[in-house]
Amino acid sequence: MKKFLALIMALAMTLSLAACGDAGTASSGSASGEQTDELTVGAIYINSKNDTAGYTFAHHSGIVGGMKDLGLDPEKQLVIVDEVPEDKQQVLAAVDTLVGQGADIIFGISFGYIDAMSEAAETYPDVIFSHGTGYLSNDTNFNNYFGRAYQARYLAGIAAGLKSLETGNNNVGYVAAYTTAYAETASGINGFALGVQAANPDAKVYVKNLGAWADEVNEKAYAEELINTFNCGVISQHCDSAQPQIAAQNAGVFGCGYNSDMTADAPAAHLTAAIWNWNVYYATAMQAAIDCAGDASKFVEKMGGSAYYGGLKEGFVDASPLTENCAANTDKAIETVKKMIVDGEWDVFSGVKLSIAADGTVTSADAALVDNAGNEIVAAGGPSVEDGVITGTMNYLVAGVEEV
Amino acid sequence: MGFHIVKRDACPLWKKACFYLLAVLAALVVGGLLLLAMGVNPLAYYSRMFTMGMVGNKIAYKAFENYLKVFVPLALTSVALSLAFKMRFWNIGGEGQFILGSIAAAAVALKLGPALPGAVTLILMCLAAMLAAGLYGVFVAALKVRFGTNETLMTLMLNYVALYLLMFFGDRKADWNFFLQEQSARPVFQSFAEFASFPRIMFGKFGLNICVILTFAVGALVYVYLKYTKHGYEISVVGDSAGTAHYAGMKVNAIVLRTVFLSACLIGLAAAFKVGTAGVLSTAITDDVGWTGIIVAWLSQLNTAVIFVVSALISMLHYGSVAAAATFSRVDSSFANMLQGVILFLVLTADFFIRFRIVRTQKGGKK
Repeated sequence: MKKFLALIMALAMTLSLAACGDAGTASSGSASGEQTDELTVGAIYINSKNDTAGYTFAHHSGIVGGMKDLGLDPEKQLVIVDEVPEDKQQVLAAVDTLVGQGADIIFGISFGYIDAMSEAAETYPDVIFSHGTGYLSNDTNFNNYFGRAYQARYLAGIAAGLKSLETGNNNVGYVAAYTTAYAETASGINGFALGVQAANPDAKVYVKNLGAWADEVNEKAYAEELINTFNCGVISQHCDSAQPQIAAQNAGVFGCGYNSDMTADAPAAHLTAAIWNWNVYYATAMQAAIDCAGDASKFVEKMGGSAYYGGLKEGFVDASPLTENCAANTDKAIETVKKMIVDGEWDVFSGVKLSIAADGTVTSADAALVDNAGNEIVAAGGPSVEDGVITGTMNYLVAGVEEV
Repeated sequence: MGFHIVKRDACPLWKKACFYLLAVLAALVVGGLLLLAMGVNPLAYYSRMFTMGMVGNKIAYKAFENYLKVFVPLALTSVALSLAFKMRFWNIGGEGQFILGSIAAAAVALKLGPALPGAVTLILMCLAAMLAAGLYGVFVAALKVRFGTNETLMTLMLNYVALYLLMFFGDRKADWNFFLQEQSARPVFQSFAEFASFPRIMFGKFGLNICVILTFAVGALVYVYLKYTKHGYEISVVGDSAGTAHYAGMKVNAIVLRTVFLSACLIGLAAAFKVGTAGVLSTAITDDVGWTGIIVAWLSQLNTAVIFVVSALISMLHYGSVAAAATFSRVDSSFANMLQGVILFLVLTADFFIRFRIVRTQKGGKK
């Protein structure tokens, strides 16, 4: 009995010690939601907010970066429910939690949140809902957002095409999460392939389909297969890790990364990566939310539409700084094409084809956009079919691309 | 010189309760130290956790509704698992049975729902889910009875079979796949029509889902079944010793089959409640209740009434942690899982010391 009492005493002491320890550290963050005069940002993540790489990390960095751009304090004005699976009930519960904490605008980053976000926008008309990679929206407080990654892909394709000319190897490889199942992946492959062909019309792009957004083991294995079996001299990718770039470096060939600058992962192989600057969107959306001045229904109007689809022009996507591995004049060619896209003179999926000479000069000529089954998608001289990417109907691969 | 373990005499209930309480407190201290290491004030975090973020929340009633949505499937699954565990049948297949039940309930809601009255649809959803889950469970019991297979391994493996089946339905767009939305280019589960949702009793803004009441009713029935019926007695005899049960003239095989079927059926019912409340399938539909339910059943020492208390507390931990983590930039939702692990570990440690004590072995005899 004595021992038992001693145990209780010991625990009580430990507890009180722990309590004393807190007094000094002060409360950090518990006071959020009180600042009704300032914007409170809510976010729903598919993985942990403490991730150090990958999809959730990219968005979290973008939201925190966007808040800092606007002078908002992420410690006090950002509330997050993370590790939320694509389960309607759990997403709705997360929305309730964030609204309960006073969130004025809620970002949901994963596609599968789509139905829940749409329903929540009706339940809470006073809160702004913004859904990444989705396609649903309304005219007032609910939009969706994504980017023209295909534009950045095209620039990376130019670097890959010029490199293939330099090495004299016309085979280019591409490790893809999916191929024609998603417009996001199909447009990535097509944008890249068209960029390659602009520099090297004889080039052929071989695509391996992972069937998953992230699969490190096969990302590496497929890159090796493309190099060894299909003799590819440049490896591009649409997947989470830098494994394909590392495989390229190990085999002594070259590569173009994705999502973030992968030069540090494969310094001897990396040319340039198609990258996202998520903070560009998040700052834009938060500014629009502030401009709404409490009337959430004005959000879509302030954003200039219910679907945000920024590209090179907005700085939302870009080609990462070129490395020493790039062929001569790559910088000149990429600068020229980037300016054409930014100025709105030209876009990737149109009936106008660019040709890039070895000295980096760019010429354009009317030519039909044809898929790899021989169907004409856009007639020569026709306008760009960017809508096919936005609405998710691009379900073909362009001529010169072979799925293996 | 050495140590050995000695069984204790019976421990009075109040002392037991104190030990468990201390174990939980100790777990909170461990968690508190980790929070301190992350630069978070543990008292602020815990106060948010235990109030589930409802204080100062303008839609606190929603928080309580969401809490009950976590509680109902967990409590019912734990009760169901305890039936099998009482008989020493290690049903680790709660996840798989829950998933099969979900798929069956969703199939009824999507296929038959439009043609039937709402109440009939809901009853059919429950029956279909119970049948699907029950058969999935009794399949393993039959293998055990007939061939002496290991039910732990079998139920465990069948969890993954069920999960991959659900994932297959979740990402394979095809004409036959009525689980997915037709209009979406990307695979998205089809939501059910309004009538395939369980009704709620409104108290002002707060809606009490009828599943909450049904869950308590089922819990009461199971309590009576185990404590006051012949079946319940047979379960405990088989659990203590199958040989004794056999010599007492009990049909052990039939009892095993019957009880496992009932256990899995109730998990199916939990699935129907979950699906009929969510109004849509998802690949995360179980919310891990098949795993967490095992923990709850053990922490409750298979006592039906205690299961409800422990489920309520674990749900509070689970839901409260998410609500609390939202406002602390460094704490993510995984903290709840970690804390749950520490609590389980320390409560089981306490349990050990309630039953046994360690004494030093001395020369020439025992102390």
